[in-house]
Amino acid sequence: MQLISETLEQAVEQLARLPGMGRKSAQRIAMFLLKQNDEQVFRLSRAISDLKKNIRYCSVCYNITDRDPCPICQSEKRKTGVVCVVEEPKDVYVVERTREFNGRYHVLGGVISPLQNIGPNELRINELIHRIRDGEQIREIILALNPDAEGEATGFYINKLVQPMGVNVTRIAHGIPMGTDLEFIDDATLTRAFAGRQNF
Amino acid sequence: MINTSLSLTNFRNHHQTDVTWGEHVNIITGPNGAGKTNLIDALHYLCMGRSFTSSSDMYVVRQETSSFLVKGAFRGSIRSSFEVACSYSRGDGKRLWVNDSPLERHADLIGLVPVVLVSPDDRKLTGEGPAERRSFLDALISQTSPSYLDDLIRYRKIIRQRNRLLADIHMHPDQLDLMLEPWDRQLTETGSRIIARRGTLVRKFQSYLEQAHQELAGSGLVPSISYRTFCDIGEEPEPDAGRILQDYRTTLRDSAGRERERRQTLTGPHRDELVFYLNDMELRKFGSQGQHRIFALALKMAQLYFYNDELEDLPVFLLDDVFGDLDPQRTATVMQMLLQHEGQSFITAAHPDKISGFSASGRNRISSFGVSGGRVEQTP
Ligand SMILES: Nc1ncnc2c1ncn2[C@@H]1O[C@H](COP(=O)(O)OP(=O)(O)O)[C@@H](O)[C@H]1O
Ligand SMILES: [Mg+2]
Ligand SMILES: [Zn+2]
Repeated sequence: MQLISETLEQAVEQLARLPGMGRKSAQRIAMFLLKQNDEQVFRLSRAISDLKKNIRYCSVCYNITDRDPCPICQSEKRKTGVVCVVEEPKDVYVVERTREFNGRYHVLGGVISPLQNIGPNELRINELIHRIRDGEQIREIILALNPDAEGEATGFYINKLVQPMGVNVTRIAHGIPMGTDLEFIDDATLTRAFAGRQNF
Repeated sequence: MINTSLSLTNFRNHHQTDVTWGEHVNIITGPNGAGKTNLIDALHYLCMGRSFTSSSDMYVVRQETSSFLVKGAFRGSIRSSFEVACSYSRGDGKRLWVNDSPLERHADLIGLVPVVLVSPDDRKLTGEGPAERRSFLDALISQTSPSYLDDLIRYRKIIRQRNRLLADIHMHPDQLDLMLEPWDRQLTETGSRIIARRGTLVRKFQSYLEQAHQELAGSGLVPSISYRTFCDIGEEPEPDAGRILQDYRTTLRDSAGRERERRQTLTGPHRDELVFYLNDMELRKFGSQGQHRIFALALKMAQLYFYNDELEDLPVFLLDDVFGDLDPQRTATVMQMLLQHEGQSFITAAHPDKISGFSASGRNRISSFGVSGGRVEQTP
């Protein structure tokens, strides 16, 4: 095929690298952008470049943030002493949406997975230990990791390091999401929910 | 469970095939290479999410096309009617749907439409290595228990993660114990549940196997299965998972040195063995060809009988090319069994004369189909 425009081709190529995007959709988006006015396209391109320029990791909890420390770590309304450990920044948003948790977070940046060459040192586990040791007076750690083999292994590992330091370690129960019809729950979740059932 | 209709698009040599099946025995005949096995394989896709003839979905896509689609309508006792679909294309990979909603995990399909498959490959069950027998047992249990399948998938993952740590031992020689511990806990917990389930099943299965074998071979020799794992699981009908866990922990600890040498996980259900016996003769070592064939068929018939008792819905029974191998008397036995079976079954045969005698006697229970060149037609 004859290349119509090298500039267009470059844009398509970059867009096609995004997750879940094929060449066809990339072409469609590029054509869509061409039809937008300058101001709209400029806002999008600025938002994208700001993403990398302005966003950094909170030096306390390692969530992504514009300011360091992040608003949660700075907030006086949040309880100190209770830390919820999650895998990724997106998990913070999931827990925040529930409005159930009023403590602080610690974002590990992944889970232990030897197959992907990720060991404890590749995660923010040492940083968590430092937070416990250096004056944050942490009494309880809530593990909110995924219930897969890697999440469990990471939980075991953290528990083993942290418990001797006099910190209470709990984990969230993995059960049926609130407001979900039983019919739409996959069997594995339902099975675990039954295994972890509690007295009413 | 009844498969009322099946639709194949670009599946092997089927360009577009739509069939409406009978509720009981469906006999599929046609010359070699006509596309009979492919029909059975398509049904297998809807039950197990994969082919039984090919290890790669890619080969199943009809040549010179880019994707296949199989759809089937089912009728069951709990879900009165639903549709299962499976597609594969090189770009999107394999996708599964139940009633138009995509399944996130392949595992969620297993057990929805229980299936028992008899195929020429069954000879591997009694003749080849332990992996064949383990996967028979795993498929057998998984269709009755999603939690078992869940454990299996998790266990395999743990083994791979753990083996990687052992393989990379030089990178963290003095930290290995610390690194292994989180995996060891999961390995032993998941693994001992798997062992207890396997032990329970094998014991429960014994009477079904005896019944099936007796129907096929008479009451001379009694078949049995001995389940061997690294520890003694006792004699109770349901082995004690707690005690297996204790043994597992101890054995794992004791084999730490050897594991570091061999750099892989040496203890656990991934190394289990099933040994088949006729009376006290070990089939694999001393059985005749005929004894092997009957034993393998008896295992599958026993699976059918077991499911009949155990499951809410009767399984779909698939028999590919069985009669080529059987003498007239056994052919008659199997046909009688199929005609008595309350559930639905599908049989392929290259030579209709072998079973034509039954078409008359079981007229109201038998539907016949002819296949040639990837086209299917119901025959009177
Ligand atoms: N991917 C494919 N595309 C087209 N034809 C195929 C493909 N795979 C197998 N075939 C054809 O399917 C036929 C075999 O079908 P099969 O169902 O095994 O026959 P049988 O009726 O003997 O059981 C052969 O003619 C083979 O060439
Ligand atoms: Mg065939
Ligand atoms: Zn923070």
